[in-house]
Amino acid sequence: MNNEHTHVLLIEDNPGDADLVRLRLLEGDSAVNVSSVNRLADGLASMAKEPPSVVLLDLNLPDSHGADTFRKVLEKAPGIPVVILSGQDDEVLAMNALHQGVQDYLVKGDITSRHLGHAMRYAIERQALLRALEISRRQQLEFKNQFLSHVSHELRTPLTCIHQFVTILLDGLAGDINPEQRHHLGTVLNSVHQLRAMIHDLLEATRAESGKIRIEPRCITLGDLIQQATSMMAATAKEKHVGLEVGLDARIPFVYADPDRVLQVLINLIDNGIKFTPPDGSVLVKACLVDADPNMVYLSVADTGRGIGPEAKALIFERLYQDPNSVDDNRAGLGLGLFIAKELVELHGGRIWVASEVENGSTFSFTLPLYSLARLLFPVITYEGQLRNAIVLIKVELTPLSSPPRTNWKEVCAKALDTLRHCVYLDKDLVLPVMGKAETKETFFVAASTDLERAEIMMKRIREQLGPILKVSGVLQVSATAVSPPSAEDGRPLEELVQAVADQITETVRYELASKPNLENQTGKEVQSKTK
Amino acid sequence: MEKLQKILIVDDDPDLRRALKIRLRANHYDTAQASDGYSAIAVAQKEQPDLIILDLGLPAGDGSVVLERLQASDTLSSIPVIVLTARDPQANEQKMLQAGATAFFQKPADNNELLDVIRAALPNTWPGTALLS
Repeated sequence: MNNEHTHVLLIEDNPGDADLVRLRLLEGDSAVNVSSVNRLADGLASMAKEPPSVVLLDLNLPDSHGADTFRKVLEKAPGIPVVILSGQDDEVLAMNALHQGVQDYLVKGDITSRHLGHAMRYAIERQALLRALEISRRQQLEFKNQFLSHVSHELRTPLTCIHQFVTILLDGLAGDINPEQRHHLGTVLNSVHQLRAMIHDLLEATRAESGKIRIEPRCITLGDLIQQATSMMAATAKEKHVGLEVGLDARIPFVYADPDRVLQVLINLIDNGIKFTPPDGSVLVKACLVDADPNMVYLSVADTGRGIGPEAKALIFERLYQDPNSVDDNRAGLGLGLFIAKELVELHGGRIWVASEVENGSTFSFTLPLYSLARLLFPVITYEGQLRNAIVLIKVELTPLSSPPRTNWKEVCAKALDTLRHCVYLDKDLVLPVMGKAETKETFFVAASTDLERAEIMMKRIREQLGPILKVSGVLQVSATAVSPPSAEDGRPLEELVQAVADQITETVRYELASKPNLENQTGKEVQSKTK
Repeated sequence: MEKLQKILIVDDDPDLRRALKIRLRANHYDTAQASDGYSAIAVAQKEQPDLIILDLGLPAGDGSVVLERLQASDTLSSIPVIVLTARDPQANEQKMLQAGATAFFQKPADNNELLDVIRAALPNTWPGTALLS
């Protein structure tokens, strides 16, 4: 311990007790200064202003009692050692306090100067040790993550070499090969792909563990994504003679999720399903709505494989878990896939679980949030409990100049979107979540609480700011259409009016994106959600 | 016979340089090589390649520095640069593209994707080139 003065903050409402404790502290150690307050609120304020070396805390104060008192102190200042000084010798309360992070529990009648001085010093030391332990734990975690990241990087170099020369042989660039040689080399290439996927998972799991995975939710059509996933897995399914089917609820509206990440989860689950299903079995991918949970969409991947036992079910989403009974003949993994899938689903605000019986197949299910424009629009297009009287939908189109677009097209679009968000007023305009996947042409929409005339000013600003970002890679087009808000006189509640505007905007957006005439539902008031 | 377009391969792994050379020759490109960051600039100046494939983890000058120097050079800044590295795209891709790279590939990259990007980046390539040589 260093020689600096120990600063004790005494939170005690009984003036007699306070004086006695102060005296005992000063008797025991001259290098101590004591400040005392008699209310918890004052104590918390004092801690915030100048953190003491240790807090000496009475539990029954004018503004707080019992366990609440130490909980509030611990919550407010997690790093500061707390010693309770209580009038009652309550072993249960004392243990409870220690388990929650209090350093010591002293009973008022028992203390001597020597005893109190020791208790203060030991509390400070123990707290310092705890902090050192926590720092070392974090350093170890960081070291492990760096190590894994380094390893996965280093493994890629020799793997690249193997990949290059195997493909050189396979493509006949080093002379003709016979069918048997071709078959063997094909096996090597498969292993290279497996190894590459494992290295990728290793890094991804490291990222998930340290909270470094980011998602970019968009407004997406789930059906397209499921089709994409199943068509990507079709060859694998066919090779193993496993059927791959899709059951899609046609009523599913847009979903608010990161398409690349959802695809990753789907492929992982489908791949697992195929892997653990014997030939002539099947894998069924389904998406549906559930009445009890109206804000989420439910996706599931069901197989007719051997199923999972109860012990495995509890552990299956853990990192590195592999079912010891599921020895797979040819396609092992690291046991990271489901761990990553779980992290990704939870990042979206969904959950993932499995239902299974041994010999009776498994069904992995997860949820994703539905896209609700009305919820996003509400604060923007209402003012003092009323709908704003003019709303305009501004369309910002970015068209790449070359086809296929330059490889940094995605980044250009991301930068443009970021800049666009700075061109609007946060309290009365909304940049709509981006629709679909950015492959070629990218379209952004802004719902602006303004009339067409004044929208011109915003459009000018958008052109000026986004133009330089596109430079040589694309063309920028900005246009606007008025959204006619439903009349407030018809006596409907505000929520319904906002919903009507949201429906109208959704329909306009869909019409613009589909770029084909759609003359139904022009008023947008009774629009039903439909998937393409 | 038409003069072949030349691609400079910058990588410190001689085996990978050799493999890329075989692959590129088979697709009718001439190649030049450099094994570190320092010589990359010198070879680029001497050979005036039509395109550069650049690794990032290089001795004597990291690939990102090489890219910076290429972009700053009057004579070399117009040469398209494709980054081919073992490094993590999440931490590097955007940075490299912003620094002027045409494309970013993580090793091991798919040959066809790489060749597609090379063809797209080279202005004078036309479908008949392969038949001419």
